[in-house]
Amino acid sequence: MPELKSIIEVELPSGDVTAVMRQRFGTGAGPRVAIVAGIRGDAPEGIRVAHAVMRFLEEHESQLGGTVDVYPCANPLAAHRSSRLWPFFDVDLNRLFPGRAGGHPPDRVAHALCEDVRGADQVLELRGARAAFREAPQALVRHRDAEAAARAAHTNVSVVWRRRPGPAAATTFAHQFPGSIVLEGGTGNRLTAGVGRDLADGVLNLLSTLGVVGEADLPFHWAGVRRPVEVEDEQVLRVRAGRGGLFLPRGEAWAELEAGALLGTVVDPVTGELREEVRTPADAHVLAIRELPVVFPGTMVARVVTR
Amino acid sequence: MSVVFRIEAPYRGAYELHRLTFGTGAGPTVAIVAGMHGNELNGMHAVNLLAGALRVVRPRGTVHLFPLVNTFGADEARKRWPFDDHDINKAFPGDPDGTVVERIAHALLDHTDAEVCVDVHSGAPHVRELPQVRVPMSGEELALGRAMGLPVVWRRPGERLGGTGLLGAWRAAGRKALHVVAGRGITLDTGHSRTTADGLNRLLAHLGMGHSVGPPATVADVTRGEVDTHRADHGGFFVPEVRVGARVEPGHLLGYVQAPIGGDRLGEVRAKRSGVVMTVRAWPMVHAQELLVRVAGVEAG
Repeated sequence: MPELKSIIEVELPSGDVTAVMRQRFGTGAGPRVAIVAGIRGDAPEGIRVAHAVMRFLEEHESQLGGTVDVYPCANPLAAHRSSRLWPFFDVDLNRLFPGRAGGHPPDRVAHALCEDVRGADQVLELRGARAAFREAPQALVRHRDAEAAARAAHTNVSVVWRRRPGPAAATTFAHQFPGSIVLEGGTGNRLTAGVGRDLADGVLNLLSTLGVVGEADLPFHWAGVRRPVEVEDEQVLRVRAGRGGLFLPRGEAWAELEAGALLGTVVDPVTGELREEVRTPADAHVLAIRELPVVFPGTMVARVVTR
Repeated sequence: MSVVFRIEAPYRGAYELHRLTFGTGAGPTVAIVAGMHGNELNGMHAVNLLAGALRVVRPRGTVHLFPLVNTFGADEARKRWPFDDHDINKAFPGDPDGTVVERIAHALLDHTDAEVCVDVHSGAPHVRELPQVRVPMSGEELALGRAMGLPVVWRRPGERLGGTGLLGAWRAAGRKALHVVAGRGITLDTGHSRTTADGLNRLLAHLGMGHSVGPPATVADVTRGEVDTHRADHGGFFVPEVRVGARVEPGHLLGYVQAPIGGDRLGEVRAKRSGVVMTVRAWPMVHAQELLVRVAGVEAG
């Protein structure tokens, strides 16, 4: 039976208590893998993937060659209201790591999560797509971490992005654990048919390559796992709206486009008249495309991966 | 008044960043910014009070005032930029070709090219702050902060001033940067606004740009180690027994936490040293370990 444990309980002013839970699967031998979802409350896809993985691990617990700790929702109060930020304090939990034991509740949750995950041989963060976007399944790893990129290639995604750290990177969860892999995809604050299944298969396939799950136990054939392209920042281009208005997207995530192909149009929100045609600047795959139509000049409407 | 940056908005009139400029031109240049967070009103009022004074007596040098940066947030009583819920004060140094908050940040940094820059904020909506200037532990910015004569001068290590805030961007650009906080978000406190405006006037006088407005009002000049931060031992309903600015002695009851249902007293908060109350929790529902009261240490007598 998996061990269910609360890693921290937060007392709310009303007297209620909210807890961050961990389910531990395994027999104790072999590597330990930590899988964390729901650091932001607007990423239900990651939580769904965690649930799917937990169901599999429970069914196969006696055959596991390692320990898997799953934290299906690190930010339960934000998930409760489907918001990115921890409510009341209005802070992004993914900007508070490694947290502080003596801080306010989000700080303490960040600290407790880091302390509990510390020592894991592989850390995996599950997200959904960023708000307002539809994204191809993708794995994010640190720019210089070729080993993590090689492992991430087994996660059934379209692309492995070796990303340089931005100004806020030091305070993110993934940054606290070298070798960590972040999986995301689907649609912001929504569940997307097929994507959750793909990412769950990717997690299980990664567990198989780590020796935690037997290949024969996988609910799919290894030959069906995607072989992703590996890219760096220079190959990932942001495409922005030049005008404000309503962006009407064309095309699907991971669509293959020729340079100059139409990504969408910006129209006047009052009259519907065309203001701008937004086109891909190079031969590329669509990594992310904006689904929430309201845009300002400069709003990113797509992210493309050059071929 | 001039518009230094403009960007079209999908469903309403364009966003415009307004700047008021006063002065003779020859002499120092000072830039004062308020309303970066749309729910912080005391800074806006203080800067507008200063504008009223500068219309009467033209300062030597140049004073640029930005009374309200985040107009769209202010329309909705929100701290952040409403469209994407981003904090403009985390978008510096900004990007002229980036997202809308990055463009605003870039324009604001570009148009506050001054020797001395001041960013005026209110406290968060759930706390009330005695008007204070937060400055480095030493150097010219400390002298400038002290010259404002605000009730509290809080000397703090500068490790939190990097990153993506306006103060860090100013300092990275070689400008003297002061951080002023007064009152509480969401609410207007005319007394704190007047105190803050007086402090800004004293700063201009210190720089030889205007006339002083009376003696300084500083009651505490402290480092972090000289500030007692009282936190809640329990979640519950905090009832304060003091106001900001109150003088307290060791043992003074600062407030208590009670059960939100039934009112049983769960814990008391008492002063540990002689001092001045500089922060008081305003929204009573508190989590355990949240800030309730800060007392700035001041010698008794």
